[in-house]
Amino acid sequence: MTALYLRERWFEDLPLGEFHVFGSHTFSELEIVEFAEAYDPRPELTNPEQALYSHRQGLVASPWLITAMWMRKMVDYMEVYAQGVNDGRRNGAGVAINDLQWLEPVRPGHTLTYTYEIIAKPDRVIREKWGLIRSRNEAFNQYRTKVMQFEIDILAERRPPNSDDPQQQ
Amino acid sequence: MTTPTSPSGHLTSDLIALDKGAIVAFAARFDPQPYHLDADAAEQSIFGGLCASGWHIAALATRLVSQTLLDNGIPFVEMTSVSHLTWSRPTFVNEKIGVRITLDASLADSPIAGTYSQTLEVDVRNDDGAVVATMTATAAIAADPTVVAAP
Repeated sequence: MTALYLRERWFEDLPLGEFHVFGSHTFSELEIVEFAEAYDPRPELTNPEQALYSHRQGLVASPWLITAMWMRKMVDYMEVYAQGVNDGRRNGAGVAINDLQWLEPVRPGHTLTYTYEIIAKPDRVIREKWGLIRSRNEAFNQYRTKVMQFEIDILAERRPPNSDDPQQQ
Repeated sequence: MTTPTSPSGHLTSDLIALDKGAIVAFAARFDPQPYHLDADAAEQSIFGGLCASGWHIAALATRLVSQTLLDNGIPFVEMTSVSHLTWSRPTFVNEKIGVRITLDASLADSPIAGTYSQTLEVDVRNDDGAVVATMTATAAIAADPTVVAAP
């Protein structure tokens, strides 16, 4: 059997319900502060002392750090899962997200585990060659509490009509 | 930072410039894909040139939203949800982005104690005025502004 890695597959090969655990990440105080300094520089996010007096009563990760780390975990996971493949053409861009919620604060030392599930394949053809893969993505902390969720539509290249790839339709 | 309120009730932010170093620095940390890191690879990609990660744009847009609200006396605490976000076009090296914010009239309970929820419609535009992203978001706003400013 020939293994089909994610990036070797066309839009048509990606099944509904496919599920991946991208992995886990433990957030340090330093990276929380450094992210805030670069992208969200408010004192309650950059200064742990001042954070004690904020609504969160202590330092928390900027919401977009939690979500950006999902992207990093996905890229790292796909690099391993699609080992040996270096073809960016089928590696599609995200076009839209829906229902993004940050449900619980993430504090220094918290460990999040990121999951991904394909929930829909909207019937659309974009620029003649791309399809859309809709996934539900969630992050759980060390107490197994969901702290973030969102859906994202990512482009996946449709199999060309004259493709000589295996699994020809 | 000046944030004029237009007659139609929008709030408009200043512009943030995105140079190559900033784009690559974010991508190297959070979105290390060729079209955000390498100009040659990016030219061959769907984007046609080196461009910022969409998450970079989202983070900077939110930074501009918080600054603009705070500058207008609205005590922004945190973004708590984004019901919809569309990336309309890539943001290339040395483009600038700014936001235009429309405040929804309806207020709701917030998941953060001591705050209320404010719905925001956010257009992210580049320095040519083209929309690069649109976002419908909910922000937690301090019910008592002095809490944020505590020592």
